[in-house]
Amino acid sequence: MKHTATTRFGLAALQIVLALFVLLPFFWMISVSLKPATEPFAIPARLWPTAPTLENYVTAFRPEFRTYFMNSIIVSGASVAITVTLALLAAYSFSRGKLIALTVLMGAVVIAQMFPHSAIIIPIYKMMRLADLLNTYTSLIIAYVSVTLPVAIWMLRGFLIKLPVSLEEAASIDGAGPVRVFWDIVVPLARPGVIATAVYVLIVTWQEFLFALSFTSTKEMRTLPVGLNDFIGQYGIRYGELMASSVMVSVPVIAIFFFLQRYLVAGLTAGAVKG
Amino acid sequence: MATVELQNLAKNFGGFTALEDLNLMIEDGEFLVLLGPSGCGKSTTMRIIAGLDEPTSGRILIGGKQVNDIPARDRNLAMVFQNYALYPHMTVGENIGYPLKIQRIGRADRERRVREAAAKVEMQELLTRRPAELSGGQRQRVALARAIVRTPQLFLMDEPLSNLDAKLRTVMRAELKHLQKELATTTIYVTHDQVEAMTLADRIVILNDARIQQIGAPAEIYARPANVFVAGFIGSPPMNLIAGEIKDGIFVHATGSLKVEGEPDGAVTLGIRPEDISLVATDKADLEGKVYSSELLGDCTLINAHIGKTLIAAKVRPEDVREINTPVSVGIDHSKLHFFDASTGTRRDNAK
Repeated sequence: MKHTATTRFGLAALQIVLALFVLLPFFWMISVSLKPATEPFAIPARLWPTAPTLENYVTAFRPEFRTYFMNSIIVSGASVAITVTLALLAAYSFSRGKLIALTVLMGAVVIAQMFPHSAIIIPIYKMMRLADLLNTYTSLIIAYVSVTLPVAIWMLRGFLIKLPVSLEEAASIDGAGPVRVFWDIVVPLARPGVIATAVYVLIVTWQEFLFALSFTSTKEMRTLPVGLNDFIGQYGIRYGELMASSVMVSVPVIAIFFFLQRYLVAGLTAGAVKG
Repeated sequence: MATVELQNLAKNFGGFTALEDLNLMIEDGEFLVLLGPSGCGKSTTMRIIAGLDEPTSGRILIGGKQVNDIPARDRNLAMVFQNYALYPHMTVGENIGYPLKIQRIGRADRERRVREAAAKVEMQELLTRRPAELSGGQRQRVALARAIVRTPQLFLMDEPLSNLDAKLRTVMRAELKHLQKELATTTIYVTHDQVEAMTLADRIVILNDARIQQIGAPAEIYARPANVFVAGFIGSPPMNLIAGEIKDGIFVHATGSLKVEGEPDGAVTLGIRPEDISLVATDKADLEGKVYSSELLGDCTLINAHIGKTLIAAKVRPEDVREINTPVSVGIDHSKLHFFDASTGTRRDNAK
């Protein structure tokens, strides 16, 4: 389709407006994090602090923050590893198996992802209490794996379906058994899909708040999103430290995303459309 | 090296019959081509021999041993796929060496054998490349090298040349034939291209509608097609088929008649190869027709002409070019006639 100059200009302007709309909160977050405690509510409001300071970062990076950070890394890391491993195995069966039962199961997987977290959190909470797992990493990892697994399976299945079966057939004729075929051929070729899925799970679990708040009761077990709550007190909100913490929470995920984005785009679109 | 025997092989996909009661004996060292149109069951046959598909019924014997329950990986055969099926994440060398790696053959020995196999297909310079960096012909060679590297007892090739351009196909065809004779390994080759089949095969098996139509050496199949399907499939252009009836030693069809002494009466289909037809003076004509098209091919002229409603092809001398829509007199070599029963389509003198 060919656009006239006016349409092109209009589209470009729209893109800029949308980009500003999306980026402004991030900019504001960084700006506030650099303002001294007196400045966030200065009138007239300033876009950028007159005297930027790192003191919010210094106070925000307290021992608790470091504990939360480690907790988040452990919980998200384990969730990513477990979800991706299980999803890859499940997706391989779903994409290669021919049993009718598999189609039914795949339907169940799709339905499973439709329940909102707030609807399933109470039953899961009760199960965790019965199993005496509340306030442990295990409870959060189990919850995260179960809420991310359906989408992860769906993503990887879409990816694996597009891999030519003849490669696996060639490997089995070359003498490879089923496990060998999976390990030597399927896993290396599925790498872009695996990375995309891992990033998805990481982003979901890194920012998860509801389960983390409900399942943890002590500061030692809290993850970052819950930890940000510390700055929201009964008598006031310490915006500077809150925003500084938010920046520190966002940076690792943004860095990983930038590093892996070429895989992510390839992995998300591959299999999205029927080939 | 081994013989392959298929006994009463059948395969159904749901309600679709892909193969019906197939019996075939393949000799040790033979180059056997399975030829037929798409959907005839030739690829299914090969996949069953490979162990990629299971037959609905019947027995497969390789080297005299039943292999029905032996998985593909333990059948000790090599296969070249239509799309080559090279492992994209491995280099050429790793691709060729993969079967050896699975057999846990030591690195030094493996590298030596990879180099030997690569040298056989003239790919020894490109061992560190990835498949994506190779041309179609080079990929084909890598696939061949991967097949020959472990000296299997059987080669299976599923339309290996069909993704190559016409010129390269001719070159690779010759190389393939040479290589197979040099290695003397039993080879089963699937194709829908009758020229490939004629040039490569020791014996051709022609399949159609899930059944074997004819088994024989290329020359034999060309000279004595067993039925109208084979007659219309082999040759380029294929044999002309004209419906008619024989009465008292005369073949009568819609627009004329032809003396055919000694043939019993009955409804028949007359078959005549394009090269056994010539253009003659009107008084010597066996058939009268009208030119539909005239194509000078260099070494001959290909004339298509309507005889009644039937379009026939004739390969005539290069100087016999004709104008379109002009009448033409056609002479037939009476010693090269083929007769097929009109109702069954089988060759009349097959019983002889």
